[in-house]
This record gives sequence, structure tokens and C-alpha cells, in this order.
Amino acid sequence: MNKPRILVVEDETDIRHFIRLALEREEMTVFEAGNVQQARIDAASRQPSLIIVDLGLPDGDGKDLIRDVRGWSQAPVIVLSARDREQEKVDALEAGADDYLVKPFGVPELVARVRALLRRSNLVAREGAEASVASFGAVRVDLATYEVSRHGEPVHLTPIEFRLVAALIRGQGKVMTYRQLLLDVWGPGYIDRPHYVRVYMANLRQKLEEDPTRPRHLVTELQVGYRLAGLA
Amino acid sequence: MNGDRSRGGSRAAALMLATLACALTTAVASLLLRVFDLSNVVMLFLLTVVLVALRWGRAAGALAALLSVASFDFFFVPPVMSFHVSDTQYIFTFALMLVVALVTGQLAARLRAEAVTATAGERRATTLARIARDLSAATVHEHIDTLCVSTIAPLFAARGALVLPNATDRVIADDTGFVDASVAQWVYDNAEGAGPGTATLSASGACYLPLVAPLRTRGVLVLLPAANTHWEPDERRLLDACCALVALALERIHFVDVARETQVRMEGEHLRNALLAAVSHDLKTPLTAISGLAETLESGNGLAAAERDVVARAIRHQIQQLQQLVSNLLDQARMQNDGVRLDRQWHSLDEIVGSALVSAHSSIGDRVVNTDIAPTLPLVELDAILFERVLVNLLDNAAKYTPSDAVIWIRAAAMGSTLYVWMDDEGPGLPADIASGALFEPFTRGTTESTISGVGLGLALCRSIVVAHGGTIWASQRAPHGARFEIRLPLGTPPVIESEPLI
Repeated sequence: MNKPRILVVEDETDIRHFIRLALEREEMTVFEAGNVQQARIDAASRQPSLIIVDLGLPDGDGKDLIRDVRGWSQAPVIVLSARDREQEKVDALEAGADDYLVKPFGVPELVARVRALLRRSNLVAREGAEASVASFGAVRVDLATYEVSRHGEPVHLTPIEFRLVAALIRGQGKVMTYRQLLLDVWGPGYIDRPHYVRVYMANLRQKLEEDPTRPRHLVTELQVGYRLAGLA
Repeated sequence: MNGDRSRGGSRAAALMLATLACALTTAVASLLLRVFDLSNVVMLFLLTVVLVALRWGRAAGALAALLSVASFDFFFVPPVMSFHVSDTQYIFTFALMLVVALVTGQLAARLRAEAVTATAGERRATTLARIARDLSAATVHEHIDTLCVSTIAPLFAARGALVLPNATDRVIADDTGFVDASVAQWVYDNAEGAGPGTATLSASGACYLPLVAPLRTRGVLVLLPAANTHWEPDERRLLDACCALVALALERIHFVDVARETQVRMEGEHLRNALLAAVSHDLKTPLTAISGLAETLESGNGLAAAERDVVARAIRHQIQQLQQLVSNLLDQARMQNDGVRLDRQWHSLDEIVGSALVSAHSSIGDRVVNTDIAPTLPLVELDAILFERVLVNLLDNAAKYTPSDAVIWIRAAAMGSTLYVWMDDEGPGLPADIASGALFEPFTRGTTESTISGVGLGLALCRSIVVAHGGTIWASQRAPHGARFEIRLPLGTPPVIESEPLI
């Protein structure tokens, strides 16, 4: 199998350097770009299998770059962002990013996110259509027959709860913003009611998680949205 | 002048009344003469002169003396009904009577004048005392303004306005309508009065009086006298005294303001110094450690792999400390600068607690955190990021002061319209030497000069955030040992969630 090709778009040399070291140790090929212009060229010529983008670049907005790339590539995008910029993360995710990392982040976290996204995009590429059965932890969800079970025991979900968990499964573990989930599950009329998602997520956790306060799969990204972790 | 005419009128009336009194005395005397001797009746005239002088003053007394002598001569001395005198003895009587009448009359009149002056003086003193008392109670310019307009001005039958300068010594024209700002400015600049009774603009309607305090002119008092009003010299003196009092009060307020500003600046300075000292200590400590550890790695030829790992881990640990400190500092600065802009949305508390547990994961370490949050707890309107920071800081705090195998409890309940969140630990409890309120002040540290790092910003930030949410936070001692932090938040009315159609 070919080595994964990663494009790192970041203007800070030291950060670029440590990302390169970390990823090369994982048997990946890394290309570096220090600005948006260079990144556009590299994204087209190098055909990366994953792109890491810092949102604050000297010659442009990282979000515009993501939108551009999304026009012609399905390569997963990880965004690097500051802690208190929730709206920036939401905007990047809605522009087409798959995941984000909050600065300062650690190497293990970075590698884990990169690996998860790569594996998922490989799966999607190989199998074409989504599998009808998904499982995470002890939970098994059959998207075709609407059957949900935990530890082999059937679990009853309401239609909205099922649509919500199905939307997260279709997200393949990427962070889904409130807006994306509201559009997907409730429809455009509910776009300004993020508390609906919170209430139904709380219900889902009660039914599917071992310890609802410390969810291992239905993970909260505070003020941003949710992700499904541990999808097999 | 109008005043002169009215005073002339009152004098004429006094003379008329004196004449009337003499006529009345003559009538009474003619009745008495049937019983008494003529020499006794003379005394009645003397009494009249004294009374008239007492009541209506010097001139009326003199007139009454002359009229009494004339009347006595005309009506009572033979031959009666004539100014002729048959007995020359009576000439002496007339002379004596006139002198006695004049002298006693004038004495009586002076007595009266002195009494009147004394009364006026006393009234003036009382007025001044009252104004002085009211002025001494004034703490802001508005009080003095009110006093000038509604107490001092009516005293002089005038409308009043207090004109004060701004920071650049320009007087601020008010909207009373009778103040000419340019005249007020001139009076303020030159510390000289203008208007009636002064050398400048004496024909003008309003009187401009400079308020001259010991150090400088503090403002201008403008009085617009009502028509037909003329200030007596003693009223003028009273007015000057009032102006001096107002000027002193203005100067006092000025220095009160100066003192207050100085105090605020000193407190700000003190806080800033404390912050700088604490922050620079807490920043330099991990930075020194990191730089030393990094240099060890750099030149670590002989370092075994295991040792290198230990050094790297130590660097990472120091950086986490630094990161926590910087986050708290940034949040605190943001809370203070923006006056706290909250992004409040309806959240379920267990989601935020779960998020805080993940964020505080590294400082919690092996400690067990038990949570007890009912799934039925209503949604609560919070800024999730900031409230997570509260919980993270409380968890950090609990982790800092408890042994590594301690148990921490997080519980929440809704009672009435209040949400309660409790975080309990079984550590040493609250420091005995610090009041539980002071715990939430910036730079308060439990264990003085301890090895535990942190500038004491964590709990201060917690309080800022909770208070911004309209809530309260406080700490108490748990029995037998440990600390309890309690947060109370108003619950509000959660939005309605449409129930799902069942199929």
C-alpha cells in the first residue's frame, strides 16, 4: 500500500516541523506549505490524501482554501484553531473541514485524528457505498432495518433519536456542527434551536452510553457540535 | 428708585400717624383735665411722644414733640384756643416740655433702631448658619447647585443659577435663560462681580458674583433679582458671605474628588503590581524549568533513553501548567475588558460536566470523580465555554490540594428556581487563615509560598464567570474534612421542546 501523503499548511516553521517529524515517524509522506498560495498549488500537484490547515495564514483565510479544495477533492481536512474561537471552528467545519485540533495540541492526539480520518476515507473509497450496519463500543445500529442493540439487547429509539444517531454514523466520526445536525434531522425550520440537539443527545447517551456523563462514543464538542467516536 | 419712593411713603405715613396720635392725646387730655391738674396732663403728652418715637422712629418722635407742645399751648394754656400765653411761666414749661419730649423721643427711637438691627443681624446669622450647614453636607456639585437655586436665591428675592467651569476653565452655559455665558466667563476669569451694584455692566438685569475660594475662583453665582428689589448694604454683605461659603464648599468637593481619584489609582496600581509580581513568578518558574530541561536534552549525549523520557515528560508537565495559567490570564483579561460578553445558550449540565472532566483529565490524574446529575435536570442557559472553565478550575483546585488518591464528587440539583452545583473533596479543607470570601479574590493563595503553582487566579475567574451568569459561588468546610464549593444559578424558563409524534 502507498504511503499516505499529507499536506501541512501552517505559517509557523516550528509547528510545521514537529508535525512533519510526528507524521514521518508514522510512515507518512509530508509536504509543507507556509501560505495559502503555495497550499493551492501543492493541493493540486501533490494530490494529498489528507490536508492539515492552520486557519490564521499570512496571505488569506484558511476557510477559503478549504472551500476551494472541497470543490474538487474529497481528501479529509483537519483544521488547527485557537481555544476560544468556537465560531471559527464551526465556520471551518461547515466550509467542509472534517475535524479540528485546538492549539496547543499534543502529538498523540494529532496522530490519532490523522489515522482515524485516513482509515475512514480509505474505507469509503474501497467500499463505495456505506455499509448498512455500523457499530461502536457495544452498540450495533442497522441503518436498513432501524434495529439498534447494545450488548446484544435491543434498544428502543424514537424516530428522531434514530435519525440523529444515523446522521452521526454517516458523518463517519467527523465533527458535526449543530447546524448540520439540525438540517439533517429536523429540517431547515429548526436551524436556530440547537437545544433540540442537546436534549436528544442527552436521551441518546442515557440509552447508549455506559456512563452518560463521561461519554465514550457520543462525544460533545462544546459550542461546536458532536462527533461519534470509536466507530468500527 | 422704586425703593426710595416706597420708603418715603412709609415715612409720610409715620408722620401722619404721629399727628393722629397727638390729636388723640389732646382729646383724652381735655377729658382728663376735668379731674386732674394741668401739670399732670403734660405727662400724658410726654408718654405719647415716647411711644410714637418707639413705634415710628426718630422723625415721627420729633414731630410728635413739636405738635404736643403746640397743642398744649393752644388747647390747655389760658387763654385757651389761642397761642397767646397770659402767664410767662408757661414759656418755661413749653421749653422744658419740648426738650424733655425731644430727648426721650430720640432715646426711644435709638433703642428701637438698635433692636431692629439686632433682630436683622440675628436673622442673617441664622440664615448663614443654615446655609453653611447645608453646604457642609453637600458631597457633589448637584447638591450645591440645588442649594444655590432653591435656598440662597429666594433669600434675595431672585432667581439663581450656579455656573461652573469645565476641565479647560470654560464656564458651561446652562439652560436657565438669564445667564450670559460670556459675562459669566469674564466674571470667572477676572474674579470680579458684574451687574447691578458693581462697576461692570451695572445696568444689566442679572448680578454675576465670582465664587472666590482660597486657592482659586471656583465658579460664578448668577442672581436675577425680581422687579422692585433693591439689596440693602447688609443684604449685600449677607450675599457676599453666602458666596464665600459656596466657594469653600466647591473647593472642598474638588479636593474630595481629587482624593478619591488618587485612591482609585493607587488601588489599581497595587493590584497591577500584585498581578505582575505573581504572574512573573509563576511564568518564570516553569520557563526556567523548561529551558533547563531542554538544554539537558540538547547536550544529553550520555543520557540513557529512560532518563531522556523522564526529562521530556517533565517538560510536558511544566508546559501544561503554563498553558493553564495563560488560559486563566487570558480569560480573566477578556472578562474584565469586554465587561463579559456571554454567549448564553440552553445546555444540559451533564454535557458541560463531561466536557470539563475531559479537559481537566491530566490534572485530575488518578483521583476518582463521582458525578450525580439527574437526567431529568432542566436545561440551563449558560455560556458553555466559560462555565466549563469554572468547573475545570474547581477540579484543578481540588486536584492541587488533595492527595493523588482522593475522591471528588460533583452533584447538581434544581430546587425552586435555582440550580445548585456542588463540588466536594476530601482534602485538607479550606485554609484557616483566609476568610472564605477572600478565597475568590485574585492572588489569594491557600498555602503561603507553597510549592503549588498558580497565581490564585483560578477561583477569582470562577467567581467572575458565575457572577456574570447572575449566580453565586462560595466555599465551605466539609465535616470531618475537605472542602465544598457551591454554585447557585438562576434557572430561568427553558425553551419548550415539541414532543415527538409517536408511531
